[in-house]
Amino acid sequence: MASSTTLTQQKKPERSLSPWQIARKKFFKNKLAMVSSVYILVVTILALLAPFLAPYLSPSPDIVKVNIGSMNIPPNSEHILGTDKSGRDVLTRLFYGGRISLLVGFSATLMVITLGTLVGSIAGFFGGIVDNILMRFTDLVLNFPFLVFVMVLNTILYGIVDGLWVLIIVIGVLSWGGVARLVRSKILAEKENEYILAALSIGCSPVKVIWKHLLPNVMSTIIVQATLIFASMIVAESALSYLGFGVPQSTPSWGIMLASANEPDVLQGKPWIWMPPAIALTLTILSINFIGEGLKDALNPKSLR
Amino acid sequence: MLKYSIRRLLGMIPMLILVSIVVFSLAKMMPGDSLSGEIDPLNTNPEYIAEMREKLGYNDPIHIQYFDWITGFAQGDFGKSTRFKIPVKDVILEKLPNTLFLGLTALFITYVLAFMMGMYSGRKPYTIGDNAIAGINYIMLAIPSFVAAVFAIYLFSFKLDWFPFGGSVDILVEKGTMEYWFSRLHHVLLPALVLGAMSTASYTQFLRNDIIENSRKDFVRTARAKGTPMKKIYNVHILRNSIIPLVTFLGFDFAALIGGAIITESIFTYPGIGQLFLESILSRDYPTLMALTMLLSVLTLVGNLIADILYGVVDPRIRLD
Repeated sequence: MASSTTLTQQKKPERSLSPWQIARKKFFKNKLAMVSSVYILVVTILALLAPFLAPYLSPSPDIVKVNIGSMNIPPNSEHILGTDKSGRDVLTRLFYGGRISLLVGFSATLMVITLGTLVGSIAGFFGGIVDNILMRFTDLVLNFPFLVFVMVLNTILYGIVDGLWVLIIVIGVLSWGGVARLVRSKILAEKENEYILAALSIGCSPVKVIWKHLLPNVMSTIIVQATLIFASMIVAESALSYLGFGVPQSTPSWGIMLASANEPDVLQGKPWIWMPPAIALTLTILSINFIGEGLKDALNPKSLR
Repeated sequence: MLKYSIRRLLGMIPMLILVSIVVFSLAKMMPGDSLSGEIDPLNTNPEYIAEMREKLGYNDPIHIQYFDWITGFAQGDFGKSTRFKIPVKDVILEKLPNTLFLGLTALFITYVLAFMMGMYSGRKPYTIGDNAIAGINYIMLAIPSFVAAVFAIYLFSFKLDWFPFGGSVDILVEKGTMEYWFSRLHHVLLPALVLGAMSTASYTQFLRNDIIENSRKDFVRTARAKGTPMKKIYNVHILRNSIIPLVTFLGFDFAALIGGAIITESIFTYPGIGQLFLESILSRDYPTLMALTMLLSVLTLVGNLIADILYGVVDPRIRLD
């Protein structure tokens, strides 16, 4: 009897989990990363729905127009987080601000990852003189002081391209160096494997080898890096906006909202104006970092759990 | 070692030239030029302006203009500030000590904090104290420096009234007295704390992990077997080995401090290079802007070079490639 039960069990062998399933399982077990993911999800949804939510949040859903009648009102039942010095509802602006901050962060990250992966994989795969030229170029980009060049480039491009995209392009163009180096080093190690030699020997084109064989194997590194870059891009956007070199002043981003703390009067006496964006921003960055750590752990086949 | 250093130094030269070309092209792309800073602003005679343009070399071919600028720059002639109407060099020299003071204080704070926390965490890993320090570090890494600065001003300057919220010195005290220096220190502490806290977290975690790793090595076992007190093992034997890799961080800190200084100085209205840079953009003071961009780029390059060379000193394997 006993042997027959084992036989029936053997008939239906459990499919072993794919690497992605294992990673997902590990990630779901990580409480901190899960809480962070939920937070980011909520922020994203609120930011996306901001235009639809705005009419229900406050009596003055306009985020740009100055409202002389309702300036600097502390939080109350009508304006849950109060109004700023131009009489605009802080909560509404906070949601809209998340939209801009996340949009800039996401687009810039996409750009950085695309550029970095492209340069890194080409340099790593082809090696030799291509590698040398591309990597010296990467060194050059990495050697620019980031903030300094962002501001200078922003000043030049201002007015030529639409405000928001200036920022995205400028911070994207100046930050792909690190990714390129990382991807290159991973590709260098990965291309020594036999399956790459096999793929090349049956006549796969370099593009196909990179796209189909090499990139999927370095994807986990790129994903982890992308989360961390996402966080730093959001910081870059808000810091630049705070200094007045980011998105246009009329756009409500978290950095722009925080810039009102430049006035000692607002900073000292009206914390409801600048604290919500500061807290939202910090929590977002913290969450993204936790998610990044969680992903790093989950995607590492050597890690326990 | 000397050969390696010279090779790195020579490798920097093409980089410097490339950076200078980029800076120069960017400056040329900016709207307007620095002519108005060089000529008599009251004389609006077009002939006079055209003559001065020709004389000052604004009509020269672009490569000659570049060559003039770069030779001037190398000799310390940065041109004349359009805003202050004095040589850019003097403007920068006036603000530089403030930034140096801020940067050095910040570095000092970073090292002191990182050493205290890192050594504690390394000695007692996986305890409550270690976890608390790791938690603090996580938050310090996550909070953007300008948010931290705003919170610091709100808390320490306005609520607790411990520090002034701007400037570099009290205007009422006399220069050169003891009081003057105390006032300067008082003004620099808060921005330096914010600036220094930025890199503290990574230093601390690095030191912690290195101490844990070293404490499992053979020389520690030997020292213990000989009866050396644990305190001495940690403070002398292990620390000496763990400090070495930390030294390489110093070079990279250069670059981080430059970016950090621009933000911190602007928030704390601290009159240094970072604030000068921001103002020169806002007031379109191109000679100052160009000189500062070049100077900051060179500093970043030098910082990376120092990091590379120190790395070679610490890890002999690097020198061979």
